Amino acid sequence: MFFRIIKFAFQNFYRNFWLAIVTVTMLVVALFSVSTLITLNVVLDQAVKSVEDKIDVSIYFKKDIEEAKILAAKVELSNLPEVEKVTLINQEEASLLFKEYHKEDEVILSSVDSLDENPFSNLLIVKAYNMEDYSGILKMLDKKEYSSLIEKKDFDDHKAVISKITLIKDRIKKIGYIIIAIFSFIAALIVFNTVRITIYTHRNEITIMRLVGATNWFIRAPFLFEEVFYALASCLILISIFYPLLSFLEPHFNYFLEYDFDLISYFKNNFFYIFGAQFLAVAFINSISSFIAMKKYLKA
Amino acid sequence: MVKFENVNKTYGEDIVGLKDINLHIKPKEFVSIVGQSGAGKSTMVKLLIAEEQATEGKVIIGGWDITHLRKSRKPILRRQIGVVFQDFKLLPQKTVFENVAFAAEVCGEKRKRIKEIVPKVLEIVGLEDKLDRYPKQLSGGERQRVVIARSLIHRPKLLIADEPTGNLDSLNTKEIIDLLLRINNFGTTVILVTHNKDVVNSLRKRVIVLSEGKISSDKERGRYVI
Repeated sequence: MFFRIIKFAFQNFYRNFWLAIVTVTMLVVALFSVSTLITLNVVLDQAVKSVEDKIDVSIYFKKDIEEAKILAAKVELSNLPEVEKVTLINQEEASLLFKEYHKEDEVILSSVDSLDENPFSNLLIVKAYNMEDYSGILKMLDKKEYSSLIEKKDFDDHKAVISKITLIKDRIKKIGYIIIAIFSFIAALIVFNTVRITIYTHRNEITIMRLVGATNWFIRAPFLFEEVFYALASCLILISIFYPLLSFLEPHFNYFLEYDFDLISYFKNNFFYIFGAQFLAVAFINSISSFIAMKKYLKA
Repeated sequence: MVKFENVNKTYGEDIVGLKDINLHIKPKEFVSIVGQSGAGKSTMVKLLIAEEQATEGKVIIGGWDITHLRKSRKPILRRQIGVVFQDFKLLPQKTVFENVAFAAEVCGEKRKRIKEIVPKVLEIVGLEDKLDRYPKQLSGGERQRVVIARSLIHRPKLLIADEPTGNLDSLNTKEIIDLLLRINNFGTTVILVTHNKDVVNSLRKRVIVLSEGKISSDKERGRYVI
């Protein structure tokens, strides 16, 4: 019985081929808008993360401070629950890093070399788990036992950049929700109309089915399955369009946002979560639409 | 087999479909229900196949009160009643075999059983050699025979033929009536709804005459006189 329902559903599908094409196209457009929104969300999340990754506190110690005291400070800071990592860069390492960074600039290099002593301080770089934790860490460093050791502290929280990205993200989200709502509504209307026309083109079969004693479930089920086919077909088409498009756009995103994020892997790793959820959502909208259409036009 | 007890059917407040209908059709009987257009014949058929409900009274088929049949029970009733209409209601894209098989398929009959039973019912109606023809390749009479074959697929105890010869010439009409008589001889109760005077008068069977929704005459070996 189940296979017969599937067979009848397929018949509905290919007998109204052009109608099916229009319906699937509309669903693909709706799904594409959702997927684009997801992509933008992911990209902007990563952009915020990459900016956040750059945030740390650099603590420059006075030159006369013994290394043992600096190491003790490092241990103490490392033991703080909000601190993710503390890196010690001593004077020699700082000098090497500086020279490496300016290796192309002869003037700078010769100026450094001309100095009698290493101009760089011992340095601790403190990285917190959360952005909010930095204020606590900075407060702690202001205490007397630390302030006497420290020459200066560098902290840039990139607040302006992060709030700008977050603002863009929120705006895109809001516009995206409106676009999704509009497309979902249009898709639901088109599916409703598709079922209505399918019922009309199959009116003879339906009359005969009723006449010979087919159950209501058997008459209605092919329409529901047909809508699930539409959802499945539109998801498959979306996937076949979306991945090539992503692989084309990925280097551009990475170049523009100055970070290296594997967008395709993200979509692959979350495949069922992203496309499965979209399939279920479309199948749900389609089922509701066809249920209403059947209630209206398929009276027993 | 079929009982109408004080059945009234009205549409809206003042349109009368049937009024005070009391009748009893016994098993294996062949009954013609006749009357002019608007007499209530089609309303009676609709009540019998539970397409409509009586406003008052009871409609009973095989001891089963179907007056206020629930939607979910209608398929069970319809599998026990064969229905033949004037318009053939055949599917043009399906062959004779497929048209008959369709009725069994949609009721969940197994494929093996369908392959056994369809040729048998097509043999009863004399179309065993036209299984692969399409409806457009058949004459009017042959098409109606396919419909009758389809109505026999569930081996119904009651066959309702609503104007089955309305679209046919006299030769095909005779063939269809002969076929209905043969089915009746197998033990199936047949209700023939028609306004064809010649057909009814040639049958020499029970005739129920409807007029303005009421039974104006009910006679064994009756005649249809306008």
